[in-house]
Amino acid sequence: MFAEWLFTGFSILSVLGAIGLVIFRHPMNGAMSLVITMISLAGLYALLSAKLIFAIQLIVYAGAIMSLMVFIIMFLNVQTEDLPEEKNRFLYLFGGAVVLAPVFFFLKKVVTSLPGSEATIVGGGFGGVKEVGLVLFRDWLLPFEIVSILLLVALVGAVLLAGKRRMSQ
Amino acid sequence: MIQDYLILSVILFCIGILGVVSRRNVLIVFMSIELMLNAANLAFIAFSRFHVSMDGHVLAMMVMAVAAAEAALALAVVILLHRHKGKLDTNVFSLLKG
Repeated sequence: MFAEWLFTGFSILSVLGAIGLVIFRHPMNGAMSLVITMISLAGLYALLSAKLIFAIQLIVYAGAIMSLMVFIIMFLNVQTEDLPEEKNRFLYLFGGAVVLAPVFFFLKKVVTSLPGSEATIVGGGFGGVKEVGLVLFRDWLLPFEIVSILLLVALVGAVLLAGKRRMSQ
Repeated sequence: MIQDYLILSVILFCIGILGVVSRRNVLIVFMSIELMLNAANLAFIAFSRFHVSMDGHVLAMMVMAVAAAEAALALAVVILLHRHKGKLDTNVFSLLKG
């Protein structure tokens, strides 16, 4: 019973944060709404007994990526008059919602026609660091190494892009 | 039970697509892409909880690593474009137009 109440609260919060991201004009307000969505999604992961992912979602997504985002917004010093003129954005949002409604109802139909699996009791170790680590290094070793190469490439690329000087000077 | 989580994931994904197609601010578009990645993560975690297997957790961690790499690169590109054009409008960034 308590878990259902928590699920309802977290899902309403996450949808409200997502709608706020799409509606607000200034990117700082949008970033704050997205932080609300991330934190409520972390609560949903905890409800699904994914302990490691709960911690990583809070630290990496709501912590690192969003603070990088807010840092960039403040670094660019975005004023309200610098923002693009979006007079028709509610019209575009309405049109996009009309176009996306069939997609949404199709996906909803697909999802609700899945064979219903009720929640079973899982052991206390489900989703812990040790168990996920065993799965990661036993079955997913090659994708893990590829992701490490991807992170190295992203690091080199970010340094190259950020350290670019004008060629004429 | 699992259907509730998956429907929430579909709702978040559709809102993310809506943000990508209807907004012109490049930072909002980028954050909408992050929202779509999060919706996919929620579906992964819900499936792995209801099938009692931890492969979904590993996939969610990989999605997070890809999102972190994407954030670093995309924000560097946004800074360069802002320095070049002085605007955050995606209509201005049409440098590849023939």
